[in-house]
Formats: sequence, structure tokens, C-alpha cells
Amino acid sequence: MTVTEPLTVRPPQYVGARVLRVEDNKYLMGRGRYLDDLALPGMLQAAFVRSPHAHARIASIDISAAKALKGVVEVLTGAELAKMGTPLVADLQREEVLPVGKELLATDKVRHVGEAVAIVIAESRYLAEDGAQLVSVEYEPLPALVDPEQALSHGAVLLHDDVPGNNVAHIEFDSGGVEEAFAKADRVFTKRFHAGRQHAAPLETRGVMADYNPGTGHLTIWSSTQLPHFLRTLIAPHLQMSERHLTVIAPDVGGGFGLKCHVFVEEAIIPLVAKRLRRPVKWVEDRVENLAASGHAKEIVMDIDIAVTNDGRFLAFRGRYIGDCGAYSGYPWTALIDPLAAANLLPSLYDVREMSFQVDAVLTNKCQTTAYRGPGMAPGHLARETLIDDIAHELGMDPVELRIKNCIGPEPYVTVNNMRFDGGSYVESIRKAQELVDYDRFREAQAAARAEGRYLGIGFSPFVEAGTWGSEGAKALGFPAEFYDTASVTVEPDGTVTVTTGTFNHGQGHHTSLAQLAADRLGVRIENVRVVDGDTSKAVWGAGTYASRSAVVAGGSILYAATEVRNKLLALAGSLLEASPDDIELYDGQASIKGVPEKSLPIAQLAGVGYFGGALRPEGQEPTLSATRYYDPPQTYSNGVVVAIVEVDAETGRVDLQRVVAVEDCGTMLNPLIVEGQVHGAVAQGIGAALYESLEYDESGQLLSGTLMDFLYPSSTEVPTIEVSHIVTPSPVTEGGMKGMAEGGTIAAPAAVINAIADALTPFGAVIRHAPVRPADVLALIEAGRA
Amino acid sequence: MKPASFKYACPTSVQEAVGLLQHFGDDAKVLAGGQSLVPMMNGRLAQPDVLIDINQIAELRVLEVNGGLRIGAGVRQRTALESPDVQRVVPVIAEALRHVGHVGIRARGTVGGSIAHADPAAELPTIMLALDATMTVTGAGGQRTVPAEEFFRGVFTTAVEYDELLTGVHVAVPGPASRSAFVEVSRRRGDFALVGAAVSLELIDGAARRVRIALSGVADRPVLAHRAQEFLEGRDPHDPVVREEAGRLAAADLDPASDIHAPGSYRKKVSAVLVKRALSNAVNGE
Ligand SMILES: Cc1cc2nc3c(=O)[nH]c(=O)nc-3n(C[C@H](O)[C@H](O)[C@H](O)COP(=O)(O)OP(=O)(O)OC[C@H]3O[C@@H](n4cnc5c(N)ncnc54)[C@H](O)[C@@H]3O)c2cc1C
Repeated sequence: MTVTEPLTVRPPQYVGARVLRVEDNKYLMGRGRYLDDLALPGMLQAAFVRSPHAHARIASIDISAAKALKGVVEVLTGAELAKMGTPLVADLQREEVLPVGKELLATDKVRHVGEAVAIVIAESRYLAEDGAQLVSVEYEPLPALVDPEQALSHGAVLLHDDVPGNNVAHIEFDSGGVEEAFAKADRVFTKRFHAGRQHAAPLETRGVMADYNPGTGHLTIWSSTQLPHFLRTLIAPHLQMSERHLTVIAPDVGGGFGLKCHVFVEEAIIPLVAKRLRRPVKWVEDRVENLAASGHAKEIVMDIDIAVTNDGRFLAFRGRYIGDCGAYSGYPWTALIDPLAAANLLPSLYDVREMSFQVDAVLTNKCQTTAYRGPGMAPGHLARETLIDDIAHELGMDPVELRIKNCIGPEPYVTVNNMRFDGGSYVESIRKAQELVDYDRFREAQAAARAEGRYLGIGFSPFVEAGTWGSEGAKALGFPAEFYDTASVTVEPDGTVTVTTGTFNHGQGHHTSLAQLAADRLGVRIENVRVVDGDTSKAVWGAGTYASRSAVVAGGSILYAATEVRNKLLALAGSLLEASPDDIELYDGQASIKGVPEKSLPIAQLAGVGYFGGALRPEGQEPTLSATRYYDPPQTYSNGVVVAIVEVDAETGRVDLQRVVAVEDCGTMLNPLIVEGQVHGAVAQGIGAALYESLEYDESGQLLSGTLMDFLYPSSTEVPTIEVSHIVTPSPVTEGGMKGMAEGGTIAAPAAVINAIADALTPFGAVIRHAPVRPADVLALIEAGRA
Repeated sequence: MKPASFKYACPTSVQEAVGLLQHFGDDAKVLAGGQSLVPMMNGRLAQPDVLIDINQIAELRVLEVNGGLRIGAGVRQRTALESPDVQRVVPVIAEALRHVGHVGIRARGTVGGSIAHADPAAELPTIMLALDATMTVTGAGGQRTVPAEEFFRGVFTTAVEYDELLTGVHVAVPGPASRSAFVEVSRRRGDFALVGAAVSLELIDGAARRVRIALSGVADRPVLAHRAQEFLEGRDPHDPVVREEAGRLAAADLDPASDIHAPGSYRKKVSAVLVKRALSNAVNGE
């Protein structure tokens, strides 16, 4: 098979078919163009001077030696940048939340290792780094806070004078009868879980290039971002420029995973410097900067309580979430992105009518936290689902049956905190997974292995994924703001189709999946559809791609716009074929009268008439064939299960992850191939959370995992073949029935793996309270159990 | 992550390289596969004034069996791993090399580079210590040989002086009674080991002789487990009780350091397990 050839055998309908990704050829042929590949004549390169201290006053900065170095064009400190642009202030429209500002470059003090204090711009990155080495900064170290509970405690040093208690927000929710439910419960189970500090670690780090044209007053920014339009809207005020004079282009982007759905100071600094120097400037983040100074994620200290009857019915959930949010509130989503998302998804798929939670988003002298696939939801899930396994063990119940006993039904369901689930295969998916792993047989094999001194374990982790992020969905997770997206659909004069969208494909396969939707709706072949995104001057405005939203939000807006254009085509065809538009069928590039296939016209011909047909157009129909529509979906939630099977080496603590089975239900699937790819990637990152990923700081706030030798993530050798199967429960509320997916694996896999480890270690009574679980931790659990 | 500027020399003979080292002294660094040196230069942890690239020195790329296995310092780790001579004569070296990074790293990294770099968790120094290998070091005054036990002096420190080049390593051809094995535990495949254990012994009438047990990741250099070696001498390593005791003795005197990947106490315990397993693999994998 040669993938360069277009599909010749077309499926009856593209949506739901395993269409090969049209964007892949470019990457496979090495013709992708990433930020680092871009160059402009006269371009300069930038390097940052970054703090070696976790918390310190800046006493002085001497840039003279750096400025004197041959090849260095400019050196700027925070004081200078403060005159050029304004700080990024992250805030949320909730009264509990305090705004937290981040200066473009630190002026008075630094708050984490890696925070930038100066920028050196030179003829090459080498020279810029030479210059950076010559900048001498005098610091007066301050006490560092690395423990969020300590940071919250009375009398702790303040990171920001205007954030008392170092707490960005204290948020509470209480359904009313929680304490009563706990008081009358037969049993109360409690667990503290500390989820590890992770990092999205995209293969391509961040990077920005900017070019200012003094002749036009126009500034072009290239950024390795997930949200080009949103970036333009958010950054314009900080550059003191209007949006009409700004173009943002996201070139090919080598992964974002949520990290790049933020706006960073560098995205203001580089354009400001380019404008000042009137030369193009580029900065490509290196891995050390990426690990220390972009965004960390998911470290939350959680206390979860569950009130249970003796027969295993959950009566109430109570959660306390202390986010270890780092030194700033990530812009624009704020430091709540992890702890608040964790708290709001506490009910998951369990039918619990009483719940309360408390959330604190605490500032510490670490890198700020930002979104990373399954933000908050993943650590929150880990705490709850490991506790549920502990409960099953304590009550002598099967962990799968305990879950099913408490699971909601398949119909739409409103959670105690008002999330509107749109129905799903909650129980069915668990049963299916059980079948796929042959659960009973596994339990037999496990018992037999144990008799030989081998430790096998299985972990089930059913999930609900709060993706999609339309306005309602975001609000339900605690983030009130308007989130929708726009798409334009145009049938060009030759009958080919151009779709533009404000979402941005950076690996998800949108150029295929979104084209599938448009092709079906317009009755054309997918080869004739082109999806354009990633450039504010070429595509319509939109909020970008993150939170598993594009299939639903971009998909819905494309369906709306394509329907409008379709109606124009139908009218044209009706008029030319002398039939009612209602009797016209559009398929495979032909418009024909239903049941009379010989009465047909190529869509290309219709398009010609649509543009140039003059009187041939139906009365009143405007020329051209284009529509722009927006879509803001109601709440929608995908669901599924991840099951992991492990064998633990009880002498070394090594965990052999033998099998991962995933059942995914994301409603209407645009393309199962792409869905499966997303599940694979998501599960792989979940395995990272369970076993590897941890950014460690020492007590003085030094980052101990500052390179990829020490920050470990799973590679192909650590990820087994992931077996994916599907259930399709279309959403009754979204256009097209799609539900946002791509984070479920990351949300669920950590608990699946950790529950499997705990299950393997049942003979030792192991209770796992933190992630990742290293071999040394496993051995310690075994020893504690033996003692 | 860009190196500071440096001068670059590319000698084509050992003699020329040694001359350059003499001339530049402490300011120079040898560049072999670059898999350890270049990351350090990129992070500016190493800022040599002069880089002496030894990749064009053909005489360093010799791999031959001639009264022993001789591996030139410039032989790529991958070449050594895939070498029929290595696999036939001293297969345990290949066994150890499989754990060194990934194929891309081994394709650049050299046998000499790993030994000269002397990371305390590295596989090659450990296996060379267990095999009682001899390093050949060449300086202005000519060649000298250094047994592995005297070669590794501390973290990233060896017997090679700054004006010398490690030119090769020599391993005696093991006799028919020889048994050996290498095992390790790492966080992920290809990572530096948390702990590694290499054993080599002769099995004569069911009894172990000339036992050498080397451990990585437990001290500032690869170390021999002397008490375990002495204990095993004359005993039957097929006996699990014997192996267990050897493991215990090997770990008993260790005091490994802690890091974010494992506390020292873990490394100590696992040393005992790995010695036991390496012994088992050596004698049961016959
Ligand atoms: C991702 C990654 C994973 C890795 N994993 C492992 C692993 O699991 N186990 C492991 O052992 N190694 C690992 N390594 C290191 C790798 O094995 C290196 O190849 C090795 O440590 C150095 O060999 P080199 O030829 O690349 O030497 P270089 O990096 O070129 O040099 C290393 C040092 O040795 C000196 N040197 C080199 N050759 C000579 C010589 N002939 N004489 C005198 N001095 C010399 C250099 O001056 C330098 O100081 C890994 C490396 C990477 C990048």
C-alpha cells in the first residue's frame, strides 16, 4: 500500500471510517516545518538568563560585560521590559480567586529556579548563551517554600505581597447533608494521596519568533502554541497593539498536551524585542528551560473520605485538594486548573448524592503549574480510585463489583455538583473490559501464581472525562467563561472545499477527521477537502485546541456551516435539474435526484454556477458558496475504562506492565483510527504518571530533575501494546453526537496501574498513597507488609 | 544548551592525539562518541578550550581476538555488541552492552568513552572489573597497562592522566570452565542502572573458583564484592543457599548514596538480590 495515493475505495460515509490521516505524509517525508525550522533574513536569536535560586531578591544586575561581547546585539532586564509591556495577570471570574501577576521578566525578586531575569539577543543562539553567561546577577536568597501545606500555614513567607496566605483561592462546595451522611455511615474510609509533579514534556519545546515591519506597523508572531487566535487576543494588550496589526501563526507543532494552551511571558517578550530592534528575533526553548520554567502539572495533596454502608454503598464523598501550584498562576487558566478540576470531578460515575470539597491553590517556590492532559482530573481520579480499591479490600468485596454497585445508569444524569452527564456506557464498558481481560480466569491465574511466589495484579479504572470545554462544560468544571469555536466552509469555484477553523491541529489528525465531517455533509470526496488552521490571517477566530474539544466544538461549527453551504448546493441542483431541493442527494461529488441517479450533475459544475452562473442561479441566491458559523456545545462527557495487569518482582520492586486494555465511549466516532491513537497516547502518559514522571525539588527549592536523565517518562519500551475497543453511545445533546475524547487514558491509566500494583501486593496489605510508584516504593511496601 | 566556543583538532593517529594532549594539557578534552561529553558541554558543565576528536583514528577501532579479546577504545558500543567475536568469546560483554542506553546512543558511544568516562552506574566499567580486564593507556612516554581494579578511581575519575589516551581494553579469553552473567535494575530500559551486578567465575568439579563479583551504582566507582567472592571460593553456586549468602555478603559492606530514583537502602538490598540472580544465571544458564 502506498499512502501517497488518495483513498480510492471510499467508505459509504466518511464519519466512522478508518480513514488514513491525510496530514501524515508531510511528517513522514520530513517536510513538517516546526518553529525551530523557521528562519528570516537578518534574524537574531535570544537566550534568557535564569535564576539559580528558588526565592531571592534581585540586588543588582550587571549586563555590561554581556553587552560588550561581540555578536551580542541587546541585553534587557526586567526593569527595561516593564517599560515595554505589561505583566500577565491570571484571574478567573469567581469571587474566591485572587489575581496573580507575572512580570515579563522578574524585577525585584525571583520565585523559582529557572525564572527569567534578563534576555540576551545575539547573532546566534551560541553567542546569546555566551552573553547570558556574562550577565552577573546579585541575589539575596529568601527562604524557599516547597511544601504547600507549609506555604499555607500562618506566618509563612509570602511569595507575592498581594496574595495573603500564598493561596490563590480557597473554594468550597457542600451539597448540604454531607456531615450527616458521614455520621450515619457504617464505615468511613479515608486516604491521603500525593500525586506527583508532572510535566507535559512535548517532543518539541516551546518557541517564539517575531518579525515587525515598521513600514506597515504589522507584527507577525510565530509560536509553538495550541491556540493561535486566543494567543493573539490575549497578548495584544500586553504588547500595546491592536489585533488588526498582529498575525499569529502556529507552524507545525510537535506536541502540546495542554502545556501550550497557555500564554507565556516569552510570547510577549520576543515580539516586544523584535519590535524594538526592528529585526526578526527567535527563541527556541531548550529542554532545561522547558523542564524548569515552562509549566509543571498535577501535583496535588488530596484527602478523600468516603462514607459507605456495610454492604458497600457509597453515601457521601468528601475531598480536600491542596494544589502545589508553583510560583505563579498559569495564564490564563490560573493555578486552579489542577485542584479545582480534580475536585469537581470527584463524583465521577458514582451515584453519590452528598458531596463536599475544599480546594486551595497554593503558591510555592516551584515552576508554575499549567494544564497537562487530564488536568486535575487525573490526580483526583487516582486518589478516589485507589481509595475505592482499598475499600473493596477492607469490605472483602470485589473491586469491580463494588464499583458497579455504585455506578450510575446509562441515561443522562446530573451529578450532585450539577454536572450534566449526557448518558454513557458506564456499567457496560466495565463489563466489556472484564470480558476482554477474562477477569475470572485472571483471578485463577493470579491465585496460582501467588502459590509459586509470583505476584500478579489487576487494576480497573472506569472514568468519566470532562472534556470538550464549551462554555457550559468549562463552567461545570469551575471555570466560568465563554468557550465556543467558529468555522468557515467554502465550496470553491471548482467544487473543492476549504474549511477554516479556530481550533488548531497539532497532531490530533483534524485535517482528516474534520474533513470527514465536511465531506459527508457536502457530498464530496475527502481528497477534495482542505482544512486550514493555525494562522490568524487565514482561519476564522476560535479558542484553539485543548481539553478534547475540537471534534465536538470545531466539528459542530463545521456541521452548521457545511449545512448552510449544502443548502445552497441543493438549491442550485434543484434549479438546474428541475427538481425540488428536498429531492436532491449529494454524494461522491455528484448531485442527483434521489432514486434517479442518471439525473445528476457534478458538484464542481454546481460550484461554477454558484460563482459565475448569473441568471442560472436560483432567484435571490447570492453568488459564492461560503458560510461561517459558531458552535458552543452543551455539556458532554465521554466515558470508558482502563484495565492494567502487572507482575511485580517482589525482590527488586520492578513492575512489569503486562497488559493494558481500554474501552472507550466517546459517542459518535469520527475516525476510530484517530480515536485509538489518542487512547494509546493518553494511556502512555498515564503510565508515566503511575510509574515514572516526577519533578523533584529539594528543601531549598532546587530542581533535582532538571534534565531528561532524571525526569523520566515512558518510551516505547515501557508501554505495552494497548488493546482498545469501543462502545458508541452518541451524545443526545451535541451536534453530530460526538463527545470530546483524548484525555480519558491519562485520567484513568494511573489508577489502573497503581491499583494493579496494590492488587498484586494484596498479600502484603499494601496501600499506595503517592505517585509515581518507583521500584524502591514497591519494595518498601512489601517490607512494611512483611514486618 | 549550546556549548561555549572551543577549538577543534582532529588527529588521525594515536601519536598525534597524544602530542596534542601534551601540548594543550588540562585545557583539552578528548571527544569520542560524544554521548556523555556533548551533553555536558551543551549544559556548559564542561567548557574545554580544545576538543580533540579521536573519531578519525583508525587504529583505535580494532577489535580482535589474539591471545585475548582486544577492543580498541574507539570501537562503537554497537559494533562491540554485534561483534561475532565478542558474542563468541566473551558474550557477557554483549549482555552488559545491551543495557547501555538505546541503539542510537550505542551507535555513537564508544567502548573507550564509557570506560574513560567512568560513571559509577555504567555497565562497561562494571563488566570490565568483573572480567579482570586490563586497560591500555598511551601517553607521550608510550603505553602502559592498568588493571581494572586500579583504573577506576572515583566518580568520573580514572587512572588516565590528562595528557594520556585510553587506547584499548584487553580481556583474557575465558576457559571452558568459565561462567559469567550480568544483570541490572534500572527505572526504564536503557537508563543508567540503579544497581548492576556482574559475576565471573570458573566452575571446577561443581565448585566456584576465581570468583569475581562487581557491582555498579553502589559506590563512587564499580566495586568488587570481596567477602562474597571469598565465601564462594570452593563452594557450589548451584546451591540456592550459597547464592543467597553470597548476595547477603556482597551487600553487607555497601553504603550506597540516595538520589531521586532510589534511596541507598534500596540499592543495598537489591545488590544482594542481583548478585544472587547473576550467580544463578551464570551457573544455571549453561
Ligand atoms: C540517553 C543516554 C543514555 C545513556 N545510557 C547509558 C547507560 O545506560 N549506561 C551507560 O553506561 N552509558 C549510558 N550512556 C552514556 C554512553 O554510554 C556514552 O557513550 C559513554 O558514557 C561515553 O562514551 P562516548 O564514546 O560517547 O564518550 P564521550 O562522550 O565522547 O566522552 C566521555 C568522556 O570520556 C573521555 N574520553 C572518551 N574517550 C576517551 C579516550 N579514549 N581516552 C581518554 N578519555 C576519553 C572524554 O574526554 C569525556 O570526558 C547514555 C547516554 C545517553 C545520551
